[in-house]
Amino acid sequence: MMRNDPIKHVFIWPAVLVVLAISIFPLIYSLTTSFLSYRLIPPIPPRVVWLGNYATLLQEPRFWSALFTTTLIAFIAVALQYAIGFGVALALNARVPGERLFRVALLLPMLLAPVAVALVARMMFNPTMGPLNQFLSKFGLVNLPFLTNGHWALACIIAVEVWQWTPFVILMMLAGLQTLPEDVYEAAELENASAWQQFWGITFPMMLPISAAVVFIRLIESYKIMDTVFVMTGGGPGVDTETLTLFAYQEGFKKFNLGYTSALSFLFLIAITIIGVTYLALLRPHLEKRR
Amino acid sequence: MSGQGLTGLSPWSRRLVAVGVLAWCLITVFPLYWVVVTAFKTPPGVVGGPTYLPFIDFTPTLQPFIDLYQGIRGEFFRTFLNSTIVGLSAAAIATAIGAMAAYALVRFEFKVRFGAGLVFFLLALGFYLLFNATFGLTRPQALLLAFPIALIAAVVANRLPLPGPILGNEDILFWFVSQRMFPPIVTAFALYLLYSEIGRLGFQLIDSYVGLTLCYVAFSLPIVVWLMRDFFEAIPIEVEEAAMVDNVPSWRIFIGIVVPMSMNGLLATFMITLAFVWNEFLFALFLTNSRWQTLPILVAGQNSQRGDEWWAISAAALVAIVPMMIMAGLLSRMMQSGLLLGAIK
Repeated sequence: MMRNDPIKHVFIWPAVLVVLAISIFPLIYSLTTSFLSYRLIPPIPPRVVWLGNYATLLQEPRFWSALFTTTLIAFIAVALQYAIGFGVALALNARVPGERLFRVALLLPMLLAPVAVALVARMMFNPTMGPLNQFLSKFGLVNLPFLTNGHWALACIIAVEVWQWTPFVILMMLAGLQTLPEDVYEAAELENASAWQQFWGITFPMMLPISAAVVFIRLIESYKIMDTVFVMTGGGPGVDTETLTLFAYQEGFKKFNLGYTSALSFLFLIAITIIGVTYLALLRPHLEKRR
Repeated sequence: MSGQGLTGLSPWSRRLVAVGVLAWCLITVFPLYWVVVTAFKTPPGVVGGPTYLPFIDFTPTLQPFIDLYQGIRGEFFRTFLNSTIVGLSAAAIATAIGAMAAYALVRFEFKVRFGAGLVFFLLALGFYLLFNATFGLTRPQALLLAFPIALIAAVVANRLPLPGPILGNEDILFWFVSQRMFPPIVTAFALYLLYSEIGRLGFQLIDSYVGLTLCYVAFSLPIVVWLMRDFFEAIPIEVEEAAMVDNVPSWRIFIGIVVPMSMNGLLATFMITLAFVWNEFLFALFLTNSRWQTLPILVAGQNSQRGDEWWAISAAALVAIVPMMIMAGLLSRMMQSGLLLGAIK
């Protein structure tokens, strides 16, 4: 039941005002700046260039490589997170022995500062003092150039992302699994359905809505990745691991190229919106069919 | 609870699954164990190659922590204090304001015309350009003037019979949550410019308590509103209806009945927000430079400042991590009582 009472405005306005002021307003500000040629160093008075910044950016190979790197990290990391997370959640839900102990340990990584996690990762991947390469040597394998080779560095970043955010998937999927009705499984048992069949016939389809939400949240969040890369590789070697946010930071905070950076952040916003809308459009038929 | 899933499996497959989970658990825990151990090593103990067990492999020392406390590696004590102050106040304010908004969205009916939203955006943009270009006001002055004008116009426009769809509570909630979708760099960078221009007018917002807290409150609100709405929806409405029959005003129902009933939810939301603010890096990087620097910035800087001094870096990372480890313990206890599970649908 909904009430109607003028006091509702007192309840909702503080939040609306803060969000409007802090997040919508800078948007207008940077939208207008993105049409200017505006630098702080050297100080040149702003000049209107309309879509000039956007045109330059779209021809800039570094932009496309950053977009590609970010997409690669996001998609591979989220796919792994989902697969591992769903698996672990299923196992925990089935009361694997020692399940209580696992829960605390498994929740931990997602609450830790990405910056600190990235520092720890640097230690783990350290070529001479790190335990990983020592482990490899013990088995007579070659030591790997974890953070100094472009491809390996990318793989390391993805590994850290998976390490840190799989717990989120586990948490959400576990919550979803516990809402599934039991009688469906009892019926399936009577029909002698194998565990494999039960999973693909019941669990997976029923978990589809929550899966879609989890993957969506993780995908959008992964596109924002910055701290992990900043600490682990700083975008290097070269610009092999530079993500969109890091690129924008370099342009804006190191070169103070304001118009250009604003245009870049808007292209980023457009890219993320396109990905989000496409994702929802692709999934909608599947979600509605199940209902 | 449906503990089904794996019942159809043979004991052998069950064991295999248990081994798999155990393996993932080890992968999760080992890096954490590694930081803890490294933080108690002496410099030669680190450089000499990996060692694993304290007292057997190496002799533990407290030296890295003493260095940290004495400020040899940056103002750790004050930065820790900064993070705590900003984190606690931002989380408290965001939880309070967000809970109020969430409650309003659950119990009251709102109607916003799409046209009014459009009016707000267009007027804000238009007046900003007008003031800035024609009247020669500085950019922050133009912004600060355009904002109230556009807001008042939008509130008035909402009463007029404008064409276009009417948005309800669900749409307002979506608007809140969608703020989280924005890449933060878009706002962080604009906010940095805005803050520094306001700073030139005399209010220092960059590297200040107010500026940083305000920004964190705004960015925690979407998740607070989203979480709290689920908690409030789970509260049976009968209690509130009984109070309404007695003519208890709405704000007293909220403070006297609803808040105590959803204390656990509020606490969980507060802790999640605190974790988010505590770990946040990008905004702190843009909006602080010395006085109000937060822990993630200082920790990130350890690496480049003095090179690979892993014992000290571990101790620094540990200082940033340990409070959140404690919180993970508390949260997982709340989870076991089935609290959060109900919230995440």
